[in-house]
Amino acid sequence: MATSSSRPYQGKTRYGAPNHEGRIWLFMRLTGLVMFITVVFHLLYMHMAVGVENITFDNIDARWSGPAGVFWRLFDASLLFIGMAHGMNGVRFSINDYVHNKILNFLLTAAVYGLGLFLILLGSLAIVLGAGGLGNLFQRLTG
Amino acid sequence: MAALVASIYRGISYRGAEGQWAWILHRASGLGIVLFLYMHIVSIFIAAIGPGPYAWVHATLYTSPPAKVLEVFLLFGVLYHAFNGMRIIIIDFFPALGKYQRTIVRIELVLVVVVLVPAAIITLRGIF
Ligand code: HEM
Repeated sequence: MATSSSRPYQGKTRYGAPNHEGRIWLFMRLTGLVMFITVVFHLLYMHMAVGVENITFDNIDARWSGPAGVFWRLFDASLLFIGMAHGMNGVRFSINDYVHNKILNFLLTAAVYGLGLFLILLGSLAIVLGAGGLGNLFQRLTG
Repeated sequence: MAALVASIYRGISYRGAEGQWAWILHRASGLGIVLFLYMHIVSIFIAAIGPGPYAWVHATLYTSPPAKVLEVFLLFGVLYHAFNGMRIIIIDFFPALGKYQRTIVRIELVLVVVVLVPAAIITLRGIF
């Protein structure tokens, strides 16, 4: 950084090391690169090759079972975690651009992150317990 | 609220041509995908309970005719956001490409349409 008066890219400290927003800037790009592969594959495979009509309960059960099931569960978990992390941060960008009231900004951001964490929990439960796993757990708990 | 309206108005009235429209669509598609993802996670959680709830979710939220039409909007949103995101990443890491910005946006839009059209036909095939 030669001068302090014009700094179009604010992602670095004046010594060149990325600051917090700079790391987030990089995070959005790295998660974007990963998702360009995984999300496009998810669309081509689930929506085009298999077809949404054919994704039945038994289809999911089979896909999530056996050794290949471990791969599919990890793949689906990566979509869940990376998509939510990238998406929640993207929502935060919009909140920061449009909501300048500090208190409202904080409350909205907290609400979005709270909802995000809750949904990540729901999604993880479904992936870990598997197709029908939640119902079975329910039955065992209620006798 | 007034500030919100004013800043959205400023966003769409600023004559930034390709880059400005590309950015607005990137933001709108990103937020739209987030909303879909919320619904997607909740519905999968319900479907994972057992075959009964699964069948209901599958029939109403994913394969009913209105759902198939909305799916085409989702495909457009995801494809646009993915390709435009790649454009942003590529130009950020190779700033010299910035002077071909307009051409790159046009190439990107062609790619989106080339993938979207067959995808939309496959998606809507079942309901006609
Ligand atoms: C498929 C591959 C994807 C790529 C290549 C990608 C790329 C990007 C990039 C480069 C940005 C700009 C970040 C910045 O301004 O620093 C961004 C923003 C954003 N992305 Fe993605 N993304 C992808 C998928 C997704 C998904 C699946 C979601 C939803 C869960 C999403 C939601 C958002 C949101 C809400 C923003 C903020 C938009 C804004 O600030 O105007 N993206 N994305």
